[in-house]
Amino acid sequence: MKNPYEVLGVSETATDDEIKTAYRNLAKKYHPDNYNDSPLADVAEEKMKEINEAYDTICDMRKNGGSSSYSSGSYGAQGSYRKTSYPDVRTYIQNGRLNDAEAILNGVSADSRDAEWYFLMGMIFSRRGWSEQAYSYFVRAYQMEPNNVEFKSAYENMNRRRTYQNPGYNTTDYGGCSACDVCAGIMLADCLCNCGRMCC
Amino acid sequence: MFGYIKIDKNSLSEQEYEQYRALYCSLCRQLGKDYSVFARMILSFDCTFYALLIMSLSAECPEFAEGRCRFNPTKKCSYCISDRKALSQAAALSVSSAYFKLIDNINDSKWYKRLFYRILKPVFSRWRNKAKEKYPFIDSCVEKMMIAQQKVESDACCDIDRAAHPTATMLSEICEGIPESFHLKQSFDKQKQKRILNTFGYFLGRWIYLMDAADDFEKDLKSGSFNPFVVAGYSKEDLEEHILPILNHSLSEILLSYSLLDECRYDAIISNTLYSACVKIQKNILSKYTDQPVGEKNEESI
Repeated sequence: MKNPYEVLGVSETATDDEIKTAYRNLAKKYHPDNYNDSPLADVAEEKMKEINEAYDTICDMRKNGGSSSYSSGSYGAQGSYRKTSYPDVRTYIQNGRLNDAEAILNGVSADSRDAEWYFLMGMIFSRRGWSEQAYSYFVRAYQMEPNNVEFKSAYENMNRRRTYQNPGYNTTDYGGCSACDVCAGIMLADCLCNCGRMCC
Repeated sequence: MFGYIKIDKNSLSEQEYEQYRALYCSLCRQLGKDYSVFARMILSFDCTFYALLIMSLSAECPEFAEGRCRFNPTKKCSYCISDRKALSQAAALSVSSAYFKLIDNINDSKWYKRLFYRILKPVFSRWRNKAKEKYPFIDSCVEKMMIAQQKVESDACCDIDRAAHPTATMLSEICEGIPESFHLKQSFDKQKQKRILNTFGYFLGRWIYLMDAADDFEKDLKSGSFNPFVVAGYSKEDLEEHILPILNHSLSEILLSYSLLDECRYDAIISNTLYSACVKIQKNILSKYTDQPVGEKNEESI
């Protein structure tokens, strides 16, 4: 395992607060929500896991060998799938087999295509980088089922990026977009709620 | 390549700017060395960015020495004196893309311009052959892009994603190739480096293509040349409203993939380019189509 301090980019003499800030910044940057529809979703997820583990390790070490409290991989959106009509498609998308996933979806007759069908289609195109088509699928899924959390967050996430308010941007301040800060604040609050890692 | 990937000089420190300028001058010199003194004319910001990216990620630290510019002997420049493989590869990319751009121009231009380009063709073709011999991979990426682009443009109802795909694919292949030819200083395995760079390149290419299409919108509308935004039926008035979200989205994907890489040597300059300069260029180009006065220009000469 890598040196946890190196992973968080802090020195071993850093204070607890500095470590917490570094962790929060990284968690904000690599939050799975940012990468949900990205071709690199799995890479980001691994990175997030590494950061979580590093933070937990440091926390444990500083508590003088107190009991380890983390459950690895608990962070983020993974594993939160509700009932799905297309389990195979989801597995294929997760494994990067986009053509296979698309073939199954294309086999669904036009009149039985539900909101999830449009959402998954959007996911496939998004991971291919064909973002305009992806967006139109996400819009459709959201319109059909505006109360579904998953579809709503895909739609909102894409809109955030289309309006240049992605929290991932704001790790270095180059000025220019104050909306980012607001958004980053919301995302940060969201992060903390999700993981509840306040041990340091 | 079109020269949209620039730096934003105002938000770079003096030292960072000097580093960028040294790379720019080194690439210029490399073009002179590898091809001919006239090949220095095709020096572009995009290819400089490519060299910058490689030298930034690579494990080997480049060394620079002071020298003088051949075109402007009063000007002092820094030149790279260590291994110049990255520069040489970037020079090959410049030459190959300039050649195919010329071919494209011959097909698209009016007769008097065409005549001019025809005269240039043997020279460009000689350079290109040299580049192809040395870096067949780079040349084939560019060539594949040209062929795919022609095919895409002949499709009357081509959508935006499809139109941008060839350029995006070209850059994704070229960036993905970096870990093959260079030893990078990254904490994770090569396969992952390649995937990140592939996505990075894809969206960079997509952004460049769409930027160029936005830039040429009015011209293409008049001349009837292919333009994905014309095909999509956008008008001059609602252009910004449609295009800005698309450009923003690509830019955000570029940034998301870039931030998965470990912090690299010229991180400040690359971040400056992606976070600041690209946003400004987007604004500048789209302001052509709105009544608002143009913001500050980013046309710094180096």
